[in-house]
Amino acid sequence: MFRTLLLTLLTCLPLSAQAFDLADLQHQLAATPALKGKFEQQRHLADLDSTLDSHGRFRFVQGKSVVWQLESPVEERIELTPEAITNGSGDAVPPGGEQVARLFLQLLEGDWQSLESRFAIALSGSADAWQVALTPKAQALRQRIDHIDLKGARYIDHLEMHTPSGDRLEVRLFDQQPLNDTP
Amino acid sequence: MSRAPEQRPAADGKRHGAYRLAGWLWLSILVACALWLGVMLRHGLPADTDLTALLPADRQVPLIEAADRQLGSGFENRFLLLLGADDRVAATEALGQSLQTLVDSDQLAAIDWRELDLADDDPHDWMGAWRYRLLTPAWQQAIHSDGGQSLVTPALRRLFSPTARPDPVADPFGLLDAWLSRLPQSPIGASDGLLTLEADGQTFSVLIGKLTGSPYDLGMQAALHQTLERFQQTHPQAELLRSGLVFHAAAGARQARHEMSTIGAASLIGVLLIIGFVFRSPRVLAQLMVPLLAGSLFALTLTLGLFGRLHVLTLAFGASLIGIAIDYVLHLQSDRAIEGAGFRLRRLMPSLAFGLISSVIAYAAQALTPMPGLRQMAAFAAFGLVGAWLSVVLWLPRFRLHASPFTARLAERWWRLCQPRWRLSPWLALGAAVAMVALCLGKLQSDDSLELLNPSPADLMQQEARVQQLLDRDTGSRYLLVRAKTSEALLSRLHALDRTLDAAIADGLGIDYQSLARSVPPAAIQQANLARVRTLYGKPLEALIATAGLSPDVAERARERLDEAPRLTLEAWLQTPLGELQKRLWLGRTPAGDIAATIVISGARDAATTARLERIAASQPQTVYVDRLSRIGRLLAELRHHTAGWVALAMALMSVALIWRYRRQAWRVLVPPFGATLIVLSAFALFGVPLNIFNQLGLLLVLGIGLDAGIFNVEHARKPSAWLAITLSSLTSVLAFGMLTFSATPALHYLGLTCLIGLASVWLLVPWVRPLDGATTMDRENTLNRGEPRHG
Repeated sequence: MFRTLLLTLLTCLPLSAQAFDLADLQHQLAATPALKGKFEQQRHLADLDSTLDSHGRFRFVQGKSVVWQLESPVEERIELTPEAITNGSGDAVPPGGEQVARLFLQLLEGDWQSLESRFAIALSGSADAWQVALTPKAQALRQRIDHIDLKGARYIDHLEMHTPSGDRLEVRLFDQQPLNDTP
Repeated sequence: MSRAPEQRPAADGKRHGAYRLAGWLWLSILVACALWLGVMLRHGLPADTDLTALLPADRQVPLIEAADRQLGSGFENRFLLLLGADDRVAATEALGQSLQTLVDSDQLAAIDWRELDLADDDPHDWMGAWRYRLLTPAWQQAIHSDGGQSLVTPALRRLFSPTARPDPVADPFGLLDAWLSRLPQSPIGASDGLLTLEADGQTFSVLIGKLTGSPYDLGMQAALHQTLERFQQTHPQAELLRSGLVFHAAAGARQARHEMSTIGAASLIGVLLIIGFVFRSPRVLAQLMVPLLAGSLFALTLTLGLFGRLHVLTLAFGASLIGIAIDYVLHLQSDRAIEGAGFRLRRLMPSLAFGLISSVIAYAAQALTPMPGLRQMAAFAAFGLVGAWLSVVLWLPRFRLHASPFTARLAERWWRLCQPRWRLSPWLALGAAVAMVALCLGKLQSDDSLELLNPSPADLMQQEARVQQLLDRDTGSRYLLVRAKTSEALLSRLHALDRTLDAAIADGLGIDYQSLARSVPPAAIQQANLARVRTLYGKPLEALIATAGLSPDVAERARERLDEAPRLTLEAWLQTPLGELQKRLWLGRTPAGDIAATIVISGARDAATTARLERIAASQPQTVYVDRLSRIGRLLAELRHHTAGWVALAMALMSVALIWRYRRQAWRVLVPPFGATLIVLSAFALFGVPLNIFNQLGLLLVLGIGLDAGIFNVEHARKPSAWLAITLSSLTSVLAFGMLTFSATPALHYLGLTCLIGLASVWLLVPWVRPLDGATTMDRENTLNRGEPRHG
């Protein structure tokens, strides 16, 4: 009896290892509860056919906050928490920005359970090179976001957000390293 | 018309004919009344509910009434539910879907609970072109001081924020976000795809319902109540908070139904048992109702015809006062049941007539007051009594009623049982009266608070208060009412008031306010703002575009937008989703031809704040400060004072009339009504029950029934039937009105308490003031007038 069970489990093991699913990805991302790195952000404005480029550093603590330290073309510290978006002078801007902030945090954490209520989520690839595509379910959100693409390996490396107007926000995250002592 | 037809000797035919004719005439008058009433009521009963409608015309301020209604209207046709639960998403889905079935069956107009339900509320989509004329004071200052250079860096930061939605052509500086951040924000946000409120560290789902029709629609109330009850049974852990008039209306209706089936049923069964026991005939019961119904029909028709409208309080208390007419029925029927064929209407006529006349005099006094509400009530009660009296006198003797030996025996035994064993010393009575007056003067308190009018259960009031607190919402009970000739002048006036309020707030006044001028600046200011934006779109815009790495023609395209920037008008603003939220502040054109709006105040409520707000209101023409709660309290107090004065006048007039008729015996008539009133007031003083408008109206009933008892007691001092009728009248009135003491509605409770104590006192006082050995003038006169000997 016990042997049969063990055998079944063993034969199943490679199969489940092969099917890399959202839970696995979430687990993989959760393995690094805090990290820092650099970012390059490009915002393509379809209407003007031009691009707003910026770069800087970031610091991310799961479930808590992302700090976006813009270095060029302006210096600004933007902190996203589940409660608000605060700028360098500590003001909450824009008011009611907590929804966007929460979305960002959920994307970086791979919190699919929370995202699932609003997005259809599709995962492809493997643990070493995965892609996630998110499409809004509700009409209200579809007016703001067309789709979101995430790419990565151990960490998220690339985030792309497309709006229905054709605007596109691309963020590349690199030089990422875990933070040992959470701030 | 001296007697009932069945006892008529043949010789009396002519008088009998006239009596018969009068009876038929009265019936045809009532039929005409019924037809007239039907015509008047074809569009429903024109009823007033505003308290001020009861006050003299110079105390009524229609615009304040309109403002009060407007500020409360959001509350009337909408309701709001807050749901807190561990499995919030699943619970909200369950509740939202079951409420959706009510929308599908047209019981509700709409129910919003999903995030997308409020999707079109993003102001960026519709505020577009107005933004160039809307600047916050801080931005005005920034552009004024350095042309707007200091706004470049914040604009750049905004442009490069990962969460922003930059639009360098339409709004490179983010004018709109800055402007919107000043407007009152709805605390209701979205989370997990649901409308969500986060407050006090708790997360609530928000469900907003809109009603199809009146919040008093019983079918809808029942359906909504059942849905919510069922939800709470299946989700016992969930916390559900309700807010909205529909819940108060439903609770009121449920309470009324509950009290009808307990208090009402107990009263009815009590009256039926007593009347059935005493008269042993179901006929008496039916005959009891006929005069009351006829009187009510007569009163309703004539009052409505005379005044055109009726106040709900008139209807409620007027109908109660007609209850006095039960006296006439009981005295007549007791006499008939005991005397049988020996019954003579003529013998009862003097006391019946005098009972009616004294009551009608009392009400006529009320009709002379300048209070339209009291006049209505007086007219209603007087017409009702006359109608009931005529029905008693003209019809009742013609209805068949057999003599009941049991009733006669009962009256005789009851009479002997209630003979006082010792005599009351007049000095002792006088001393007690003086002591009671002193007690009343020293300890009687009054209460004119709004709670008297509020029948909602405490639990619902707590939920309501908690919802308002979680939503950080004011109830719109304090405001500045502002008028002006044109909407532009109104905006300027509102704007000037806003600046004064801002200065006062900066100076430490602990209030906040909502004003339309904060959303829609006056035209001159909008024009100045556009000029400022043009300055900002010069050098600062070029610097911004260059630093952001955008092409220079972006600046050109941005400037082109300014050329077609329309002015934001009040009318346009009120059509937007955010403007909708402020619609309650807008009263529009008044009957006087000017335009009115309110500035709603929230926050500190102390005397100093009130004084300061009154000074601010005085600083602008055509502006008044209104505090609705204290205003209604003052109105109730005024109404109470007027009623008290009127009761006193009625008592004085009654006394004069009674002294004229009864001379030295008059005090025997006056003691039951006045003594009972004094006992009621003393009891209130002793037990700390405050005097209010409702127990004062109850005193009217006590006075009326007490007076009838006093009159019959003196007129028929030796007749057991009179004492039986007084007993029955007190007992049935206590059952009908005194039982209201147990009502949870404050107004009914106080009316009932007054009747309970007062009517019991009337009944207890009567035996002590009964004339000795029946040798009074009146009874002797009656004996002499009797004319013919009794039949068997």
